[in-house]
Amino acid sequence: MLKPRTLRTRLRQEGFLLVLLVPALVYFSVYHLAPMAGMTLAFQDFRIVGPSKFVGLKHFRILFSSPAFFDVLRNTLIISSMKIILFFPLPLLFALMVNELRSVLLRKFVQATAYLPHFLSWVVIAGVWISFLSPSSGGANQARGLVGLPPVDYMTSKTAIRWVLFASETWRSLGWDSIIYLAALMRINPSLYESADMDGAGALQKAWYITIPELAPTMITVLILNMGFFMSAGFDQVFNMMNDSVISAVDILDTYIYRIGLLNMQYSFSTAANLFKGAIGLVLILGTHSAAKRVTGKGLW
Amino acid sequence: MARLRLKGKPSSVADRLFRAAIALALLAISLVVIVPLLNLLALSLSDPGRVGEVTGLTVLPKGFSTVNYRVLAANPLFVRSIINALIITIVGTAINLLVTSMAAFALTRERLPGRRFFMLLVIVIMVFEPGLIPEYLVIKKIGLMNSLWSVILYKAVNVYYLIILMRFFEEVPTSLIEAARIDGAGYGTIFLKIMLPLAKPAIATLGLFYGVFHWNEYFRASIYLSDPDKYPLQLILRQFVVLDDTASLIGSGALFSYDEAARLDYGALKASTIIVAMLPVLIIYPLILKYYTKGVMEGGVKE
Repeated sequence: MLKPRTLRTRLRQEGFLLVLLVPALVYFSVYHLAPMAGMTLAFQDFRIVGPSKFVGLKHFRILFSSPAFFDVLRNTLIISSMKIILFFPLPLLFALMVNELRSVLLRKFVQATAYLPHFLSWVVIAGVWISFLSPSSGGANQARGLVGLPPVDYMTSKTAIRWVLFASETWRSLGWDSIIYLAALMRINPSLYESADMDGAGALQKAWYITIPELAPTMITVLILNMGFFMSAGFDQVFNMMNDSVISAVDILDTYIYRIGLLNMQYSFSTAANLFKGAIGLVLILGTHSAAKRVTGKGLW
Repeated sequence: MARLRLKGKPSSVADRLFRAAIALALLAISLVVIVPLLNLLALSLSDPGRVGEVTGLTVLPKGFSTVNYRVLAANPLFVRSIINALIITIVGTAINLLVTSMAAFALTRERLPGRRFFMLLVIVIMVFEPGLIPEYLVIKKIGLMNSLWSVILYKAVNVYYLIILMRFFEEVPTSLIEAARIDGAGYGTIFLKIMLPLAKPAIATLGLFYGVFHWNEYFRASIYLSDPDKYPLQLILRQFVVLDDTASLIGSGALFSYDEAARLDYGALKASTIIVAMLPVLIIYPLILKYYTKGVMEGGVKE
C-alpha cells in the first residue's frame, strides 16, 4: 500500500512531471501555438512597425477574384488526384505480389530495394530523376532509343511533367506504402484460405472473397489519412522538380503560398491562402471519414 | 502466413508460371529503383577521360577515378555544408529523443496535473498546421534567424512519434511500476531505470527516423539561414544539382587546384554530390530495415 501523501510530497512528485513536459511545451509554443495565433494575419494588413490593421475578408476577396489562384487550385486538384487516387491501388497490388513470393531471399531483396527511396530527400530524388530523364544522356531516353523511339525532354514538357510527378511519387512510395498492407495480410486467419480450398475456390476467387474484404479496413484508413494531404499535393516534390518551362502546369497551392509570401512578402495574402487551404483540407478529411463510416460502419474515430 | 496454395498439393504449371511472372515483375521494379542510383555511382567513379562512355543505363564505372570526390573534398563550402548537416542531425536528434521521451512519459502518468488539457493541446497541434508565414514571423521575432538553432529545433517533437512512444509507455505493466514505487522509487527513477530501458527499441527506431529527417531537411534551412557558411549539404545539393547553379559552389572553392580539373565533367561532379548526400542514409538503412520493418511485422502478428 502507498502511504497517504502530503501536499508537499504531491507537489514535489507531480511537479517533476510538469518539469519533464516543459521543453515540449516551449517547442509547441514557438513552432505551433504562436504561429497559430499569427494566423489572424489573414484578416489584417501586415505592418512591420506598429499594430496591423483589421481588414476582415479583404485578402480572401482578392484571392477568390484572382485567376492565378484558380490555376494553382486546378493544378493542386489534378496532381493530388493522380498522386492519391490513381496511386492508391498500386501499393496494395505490390503487397499482394510480394506476398506471393516463395523465396525468402528474393522477398528480402525486393523489399529492401523498394523501401529505400522513401528515405531519400526530394532534393536527392529530383537530382536522380533529372539525370535519369535527361534527353541526351538519361537512362529513360536511352531505353526509348533501344526500341526506336525519339527522345523526350520530360522535365520541360508541360504535358509530361505531371506524369513525372506521378512516376517519381510512385518510385518513392510504392514499396513503403505497401508495408501497411503486408502487415495486414499477415493478420488474415489462414483457416479462411484452407476452408476456401476445400470448397474448391481458385486463386482469384480467394483474392476477391477473402483477401480484399479482409484488407478493406486498412484501405479505408489509408484513404482517409491521404485525403488529409489532398490540398498539399506534395510541396517538396513539386518545389524541387518544377522549372520555368513547366511552372504553369505544376504550380500548386503550397508553391504559390511560398512565392507570394516569402518572395513577394505579401504576408497577409499568403496567410489567407494558407488558411483557405487548411480549411478545405479539414473538410475533405472529415467528409471522407463520414462517407467511409456510412458505407462500412467503421471509421477512424 | 497467408498463402494461396494448398499444403502438400503440387502446384500446377499455370500456378508456377503465374508465380514466375510475379517474381519477374517485382525484380523489374527493383531494377527501376536501383539502376538510376547505381548509374550515378558509376558516373561519379568513372575515369574523367572515359565519362563519355557512361550511358544512362551503365551501372559499373568506366575506368576508375576518385577525382570528383577529391574536388568536392577540396571545396570549403561543400565540406562546411557536411559539417553543418552533421551538427543539425546529431544535436537535433539528441534533442528530439530527449524532449519526446520526457513528454511521452509525463503525458502517460495518470497523476499529471492538467493531463486532459495537455492531451487536447497535442491533438490541436496535430490537426492545425499554421503554415509558413506565421511560423517565419515568429522565428524572426524571437531572433533565431540565420541561426542553426532555427533548423535544429524545427520538429523538436513530431506529434505522431510522440503518440507512438506514449502507446509504448502505456504498455509497460503497471505492476512493474507499482513495485518500484513501493521500493521508494520516484518518477525520475521510474523514467530512467524502467521506462527508458524497456522502450529502447522504440526509441532507437524513432532516433533513426528523426535522424533521416534532419539529414534530409533543406527547406527550413533555405528560408531561415542567409549565410552560405551555415547551409547544410541538402541545400548546397539543391543549388548545384536542381537549380544548376555551378557558380556558387565553384566560385568559392579551390576547384582548379587539380591537374585533372581541366577534364572535369559537371554531370559526374553532380552525381558525386548526390551520392555524398545519400551516403549517411544508405549507411543506417540496414538498421532501419532491422528495427522498423521487424517491429511492424511483429506488431502485426501480436494483434
